[in-house]
Amino acid sequence: MTEARAYYDEAQGALIVSGDWHAETLVELPVLPVSPVHIIDGAGVTQLDTNGAWMLLAAAGREVSDPLPELRAFQPQHQAILELVARHSATTAMEPGPSHEGVLALAGRGSLAMGKHGLGLMNFIGHLSVELIYLVSRPSQWRWREFGAQLSAVFVGAIPIVVGMLFLLGVVFAYLLGSQAQQYGANIFVVDGLLLAILREISPVIVAVLVAGRTGAAITAQIGTMKVTEEIDAMTTLGLSPIAVLVIPRVLALLLTLPLLVFIGDIAGIVGGMLVTHEQLDISYYVFVDRMADVLRLKTLLVGLFKAPIFAVFIALIACRMGLSVARDARSVGEHTTSTVVQCLVAIIILNAIFTVMFVKLEI
Amino acid sequence: MAEIVIDVRDVSISLGGHSVHQDLNLSVTRGEVIALIGGSGTGKSVLLREIIGLLKPDAGHIDLFGQSVLDSTPEQMNALRRRFGVLFQDGALFSSLNVEDNVATPLFEHTRLAHGTCRQLARLKLDMAGLLPDDAKKRPSELSGGMRKRVALARALALDPELLFLDEPTSGLDPISARAFDTLIRLLADSLGLTVFLVTHDLDTLFSIIDRVIVLSEGRVLGSGTVAELKNIDDPWLRDYFAARAPERENAHGN
Repeated sequence: MTEARAYYDEAQGALIVSGDWHAETLVELPVLPVSPVHIIDGAGVTQLDTNGAWMLLAAAGREVSDPLPELRAFQPQHQAILELVARHSATTAMEPGPSHEGVLALAGRGSLAMGKHGLGLMNFIGHLSVELIYLVSRPSQWRWREFGAQLSAVFVGAIPIVVGMLFLLGVVFAYLLGSQAQQYGANIFVVDGLLLAILREISPVIVAVLVAGRTGAAITAQIGTMKVTEEIDAMTTLGLSPIAVLVIPRVLALLLTLPLLVFIGDIAGIVGGMLVTHEQLDISYYVFVDRMADVLRLKTLLVGLFKAPIFAVFIALIACRMGLSVARDARSVGEHTTSTVVQCLVAIIILNAIFTVMFVKLEI
Repeated sequence: MAEIVIDVRDVSISLGGHSVHQDLNLSVTRGEVIALIGGSGTGKSVLLREIIGLLKPDAGHIDLFGQSVLDSTPEQMNALRRRFGVLFQDGALFSSLNVEDNVATPLFEHTRLAHGTCRQLARLKLDMAGLLPDDAKKRPSELSGGMRKRVALARALALDPELLFLDEPTSGLDPISARAFDTLIRLLADSLGLTVFLVTHDLDTLFSIIDRVIVLSEGRVLGSGTVAELKNIDDPWLRDYFAARAPERENAHGN
């Protein structure tokens, strides 16, 4: 493979080119004393493809509007390629790449996007309500099969991770609380603290976060991919409402199963804590359960279970809306799935803060 | 002169427990423009995927430029891949990149040229494929089906390959664009000395730009030759194929 060479011959007033002119042998253009060159001598050119031809013409300093320089001693097929390329050379200048934005601009863009998400969610809730009102009077149009499939996907599949996660959190929480309480001889109060923390805060929030990451992301990715492959459009033209077929079963499935998962999480967390208090603080299982019966009030459990369906509705609505607003390309599916998880987490944390303040003010 | 570019010998493959090819043989010499035709489900796309190394046949040999596709090391295969370009049926553009960068991607990866130069070369290829400079900054999702095909052709041509594989290049194009696309392929084949291997259903393509047609039927090559020669082959599918499209052609010429 010979290198592509070009030099300017003063005597002939011509650019003398030789060697292999194709993309893999080329690095950069030679700088010429005269530009543009009016004669190109190609007697020594052994190979030439369209990339090479473009580079050759660029080396001669030819502007797009200039006439083709005189091509001398080129082989006929090389001459043809040069003429072909000259005809097709780009007719517009390259525009500069996007400039980098400052922190302020990024923050502004982020705030606008958040506002847009908020508005979009409201709009979506409106659509969903209209559709729900329509469906209430037509029970035959409910998608029971889809609802059942979603129940099993959202609920059954999530049980192992919920149990594992909450069990370990119960262990960790009881252990830390126990090591503090032991110093004051207040071993038995570990049970009080553990129950309050697991039932009221840890279980609902952690289960909601798990479901947002697990089911929320899956919903957006699935609906988004259906959008990309035009399945949603096909559904609409067949007279099926995507909201009735896809969104409502998912919202209902999450609404029903998240409290159940939180309850399972409650039990797993308490069992984890119970094991630790038994080992670390010598509180027997019997004493633990006895203490639990004394101090556990129904409202502690209900506060946690009350939060769950509200988290569920937000997760389902955000995930479905983001799925339906995917544009027709793969990148958009990824972006929207990420956005779903982020929005769900933010929503869960904000809602939980509101609930905590609200319950304290209401003295519940 | 008659260097064999594609050589497929005794290739057999079965997919999903059902045999697609049995002892299939074909060869293509340099500079030919070849069309592969056959009814739906005769394994045209499977054969194409085997030749470009995406699918491994159960038995047989496939050589490109005299080098085996099946026994190559990854490095040899990469070197081989630079010598051919593929146009997939739906374009298969990278949706996260704009049109210009889609075409420039092979140049970014396989040459030492500056990125600005690569983009200029991409513009050249886009122009050769019949796209306007305004389209260069668009995303694939903003393009029509025909435009996606053109971008994909421009990408296949980015490294000036010696061999071009086209999977149904004119499907989904309006007749005017389809003929322009055919002319473009023929022009490139002639001026760049390209060998073109295309899978098609488009009879107009067969009549206008093809040197030789290969007919696939029941897992084998039923015959090969010019369109006129194929009409002499006595095969029910082939007869129906030409008969079904003949009236359409006459109408088109009548208008």
